[in-house]
Amino acid sequence: MARFTMNLRDLVILIADPSSYMSLLIHGMLRGFGANKILEVRSSNGVLRILTNQKIDLLICDARLPPHGGLRLTRAIRRKEDNENRTVPILIMTSDGREGTVKLARDTGANMVISKPMSPASLYDRLAWTAFHSRPFVDTPNYFGPDRRFKIEGYPLGVGRRKGDKAVEVGKEVGPALAQDDIDSLFSAARTG
Amino acid sequence: MTESANPEARIFVVETQFQKMARRAGGIAREQAIEKAQAEIDQIKPEFDDWLDRELRDLIANARTGDGTADWIATTNFRSRQLRDTGTTMGYELLSFIADSFCDLLDSIADGGECNMDAIVCHTDAMMLSLQDAYRHLRPDQVPELTKGLQRVAKRPGTQSPPLPAGPPQETSRRNGD
Repeated sequence: MARFTMNLRDLVILIADPSSYMSLLIHGMLRGFGANKILEVRSSNGVLRILTNQKIDLLICDARLPPHGGLRLTRAIRRKEDNENRTVPILIMTSDGREGTVKLARDTGANMVISKPMSPASLYDRLAWTAFHSRPFVDTPNYFGPDRRFKIEGYPLGVGRRKGDKAVEVGKEVGPALAQDDIDSLFSAARTG
Repeated sequence: MTESANPEARIFVVETQFQKMARRAGGIAREQAIEKAQAEIDQIKPEFDDWLDRELRDLIANARTGDGTADWIATTNFRSRQLRDTGTTMGYELLSFIADSFCDLLDSIADGGECNMDAIVCHTDAMMLSLQDAYRHLRPDQVPELTKGLQRVAKRPGTQSPPLPAGPPQETSRRNGD
């Protein structure tokens, strides 16, 4: 299988997380992936301010971003018709991996959900999936966002999707929430048959 | 209702700038990208330890003034979430586990549960313990009496606090990240 590469250079990536240290970690991971235009904000108001003034290429947003929450923010971005960032890829980060929360994120128009704490491998795989797997957009009276009927059939780089986790010595995710695999599967309403 | 079942659905293809540019030649292969990202994280680690000490002190100071008000819960929960979300990535799995349990406890207080100071102190003590050299890089399964006790206390905050381990942690053949 061909080995893909992902080029994040000159892409404008906005990290929206209330924790400065969490942002620093994500910022570091993205720099390692080759990104060089990374913005950070701590609130949904900060996101809206930036979106008013410039176009961004990717939003990585915490589900509990104050004051409105990342899911409401996602819905607002998707619903605002005169917004040039309306179709921007949105990755929601959450430490609340309960099924209801993940489904809610999907149904607000998020492209992917990534569980916290996160590893470089888990972030890279979801960025690569977003980059290499095109999904049509769907516009209905109740929903605007990426088509929710899709199936993840492995990550695109020709290697096991968690292969790098141990090699880079990051810890396991803990807690009672869904594992990242289960979160991914909730995004796969399986277009079967 | 699914998209296809909705007669009013408009379906259209979007190739985003992110997709176009990420697919350009000259990118970084997965393994190399992950190695570089880990190197970036390693550079942050010394600073992380200082930050962690400060955050934990602030969290404990805040937690022990526990009055059960919405502001107190929000502030304490935010600080605890920070530790949970960064701890595992930086190799502090036990701290992340305890912080996660503390977040559950705070969520239950926010939902109207009892604001039990014993349960709160139990969690903050466990966090302090997790930063001692003997515990710093342990996984939760290496201190089962602590983790099970915390889970019990978080579920039923009115019950007796779990005993903190008196001796050194269990020896196991696995090291963190293996």
